[in-house]
Amino acid sequence: MAKHELDCMFEACPIPLLKALKKLNTMEIGEILIMRTDHNCSIVNVVEWAKKQGHYIDYIELGEGQWEIYIEKAK
Amino acid sequence: MKSSRIEELKRQRQTEIQPKKSQLPYLFFPVLAFFALYYYFFNTDKTYSIIWIVGILIGITMQRSRFCFVASFRDPIMIGNTSLFRAVIIGLIIATVGFGIFQYKAVGNIPNYSIDDIPGQIFPVGLNTIIGALLFGIGMVIAGGCASGTLIRIGEGHIMQVVVLLGFVIGTTLGAGHFGFWEKLFIFSSKTIYMPQYMGFLPAVTVQLAVLGILYLLAGWYDKKNNIMKL
Repeated sequence: MAKHELDCMFEACPIPLLKALKKLNTMEIGEILIMRTDHNCSIVNVVEWAKKQGHYIDYIELGEGQWEIYIEKAK
Repeated sequence: MKSSRIEELKRQRQTEIQPKKSQLPYLFFPVLAFFALYYYFFNTDKTYSIIWIVGILIGITMQRSRFCFVASFRDPIMIGNTSLFRAVIIGLIIATVGFGIFQYKAVGNIPNYSIDDIPGQIFPVGLNTIIGALLFGIGMVIAGGCASGTLIRIGEGHIMQVVVLLGFVIGTTLGAGHFGFWEKLFIFSSKTIYMPQYMGFLPAVTVQLAVLGILYLLAGWYDKKNNIMKL
């Protein structure tokens, strides 16, 4: 299954969310988006948004202040 | 609900990650700076030493809770999430009660008190408030942080926010320098409205709490109902 990577390092607050939205729009159901960000607000707003939309989402911390978010498009 | 494929990916990634370097030794320098400044304030001006500690505590609270005034006003519109917006309302409710008590103690027993004697930031309300709020709102969403948010993010190591702070310093300096001009143009003609002067302390606090309570309930309803950014 295809995996898409999205680099959102050093982006200001709502940009990671907007980038994720645009990317998810072009993806097929069941594909996974891997987002990399250094913005802790993204952890909150991307995760809440994706949950509200009904996608599968989880994240891990790669290093101090660096996260990877995984979103599986569900619908 | 969990996805098995995401779990699989997480497990795989976790094995690839190098163990984190501890940043704890760096804590020594801020702690040293904290005590040095506290010692300095304590010997020069005791008020500053109290403000210094309160400020540090506010900073820690805001950083840990990711409290963000930008997100509180932006997220309801962008992602239909009002949790931070409701946090701001709760903050205003607490401030209403607290300032109500302080201000009543200061001027409650004095008939025909003047607004200058009241503790707190009571300023003229008018067109200047609306224009200023609109400009600040546009600016803070583009910059990705209000004043406190910008400072928190600089502390977290975001270089972009340093540029924002630079703009902040330039803007505030220009604003302070031209304040007389704006005051004559707009602010002087605007009226300073202090509700307790018209209806007494208890009714004013009650009305404000009722309005905030209604806003809180509306925000909760909006959160459940709305999801503007759909795929």
